[in-house]
Amino acid sequence: MVAFRNTDPSGRTTGLLLRCVLYSLLALALMIVDKRYDHLGSIRRLLSIVAYPVQLAVASPFEGWHWFRESVSTRDALRADKIRLEADLRLAQFRLQRYEAVEAESQRLRVLRDSTVGVTDRFVIGDLMDVDLDAFRERVLVDKGARDGVFVGQAVLDAGGVFGQVSRVGELTSEVILISDAAHAIPVQVNRNGLRTIAVGTGDVGRLKLPYLPTSADVVAGDLLVTSGLGGGFPAGYPVGTIAEVKRDPAQSLADVDVKPAAALDRSRELMFVWLKPQPTASADAVSTPPRAAPAPAAAAAPGAAPAATPAATTAPKPAKKTPAPSPPPAAAAGATNE
Amino acid sequence: MMRESRIRRLPMALSALVALALAVLPLPTFLQAFRPDFLVLVVFYWSIESPRAGGLTLAFMSGLALDVIQGVVLGQHALALTLMAAWATHLRLRIRVFSVLSQCLVIFALLTGYQFVIFWIDGATGNPVTTYGRWLAPVIGALIWPPLVATLGRLHER
Repeated sequence: MVAFRNTDPSGRTTGLLLRCVLYSLLALALMIVDKRYDHLGSIRRLLSIVAYPVQLAVASPFEGWHWFRESVSTRDALRADKIRLEADLRLAQFRLQRYEAVEAESQRLRVLRDSTVGVTDRFVIGDLMDVDLDAFRERVLVDKGARDGVFVGQAVLDAGGVFGQVSRVGELTSEVILISDAAHAIPVQVNRNGLRTIAVGTGDVGRLKLPYLPTSADVVAGDLLVTSGLGGGFPAGYPVGTIAEVKRDPAQSLADVDVKPAAALDRSRELMFVWLKPQPTASADAVSTPPRAAPAPAAAAAPGAAPAATPAATTAPKPAKKTPAPSPPPAAAAGATNE
Repeated sequence: MMRESRIRRLPMALSALVALALAVLPLPTFLQAFRPDFLVLVVFYWSIESPRAGGLTLAFMSGLALDVIQGVVLGQHALALTLMAAWATHLRLRIRVFSVLSQCLVIFALLTGYQFVIFWIDGATGNPVTTYGRWLAPVIGALIWPPLVATLGRLHER
């Protein structure tokens, strides 16, 4: 069965070693240039356009199947769906009634405190493409790219909560790194008492970790974690997960805390790309923290009109620096530690 | 000779494209670790079968395609694939006369070398993959080598 036809019986391939060395050097040079300098961004973007047909060809049968299943769903199923959605909508509207007022109030309070936490400005919805990138990394491909204004470091949410952030942008597609990726960290806050810490991915879709909490920290299973907005990458106040288990070993100084992500990391098909609102108060350290600071908010925030109206703001710049305070390893707070 | 090698490039490019599509085909999560490196196997096949038709160029290009699609540092898969394809080309006369079992063992060694280069570059660029799952791919790859060769051989005869 396994027999090669001797179509090319030539004893030697001329210059095999030479070509091997040449190609290897070329590959090494590519790696160094790609890693050290950022010149290859545009080349990579072009190459990603070339790769797009392959990805589309792989994804389309699955999308066709989804479409087919949707279009043949029965009338009863649709009715049931409609009733459920209406109930959901009613509930959501009840909850939203005071939203405008509360939002305005919190905005005023924030200005008073000279707080710099990010507030969402607008969303764009992207669809997950049905392709696997790497079995051992938690990354997904989404069908929105540089053409839609997506940028590296942008926060991505789904219906349940924080999903991840953009790690690479192509012309038509972008790659999102999930909060559960082992190379990802996100600054969070316990909703019950405001305790700040960092949630780190584990490489397992259903689990995050809080590795920097002391044994004595006030966390219990069931606590909701929300984004703290520190670091500037993510908008504040969105659910990240609930604490599943707290293991306290008296011999250790740090507690072992497992978190169940709020977003459906392995099931969501529609993701929201978030643009943060330009900051009303200009504070340099808020925008300098993220690794590749989001260009849009950064540019808008730096020269942002200082609200001279509030007396607090005029004296604020120095004290403000204390506000984003003592999360244990500040450098890790910046978001993805990837690259 | 020139015409012959030109004719041979079509199945080469076709099989590489199909293998590339298989490399990104969505699988259920529990199956993902079992996905063999199809493109690598195809490149090995062509390096052994007809090295004159540009096995190393194919290897380099396929590696670049993998880099772009998987979003890793450009050149990572290209380097690993070039080195291993060169090794396969070097061994080709021996591999051709090996029994099925010995062929699988050689392919296993080549795939392991490939994974090792990838692993090393992952670590050097600060993106280590810590699961042991990645070392499963060479085993699976060696196991599907015989049917793959049979399939590609048929494609080749056309």
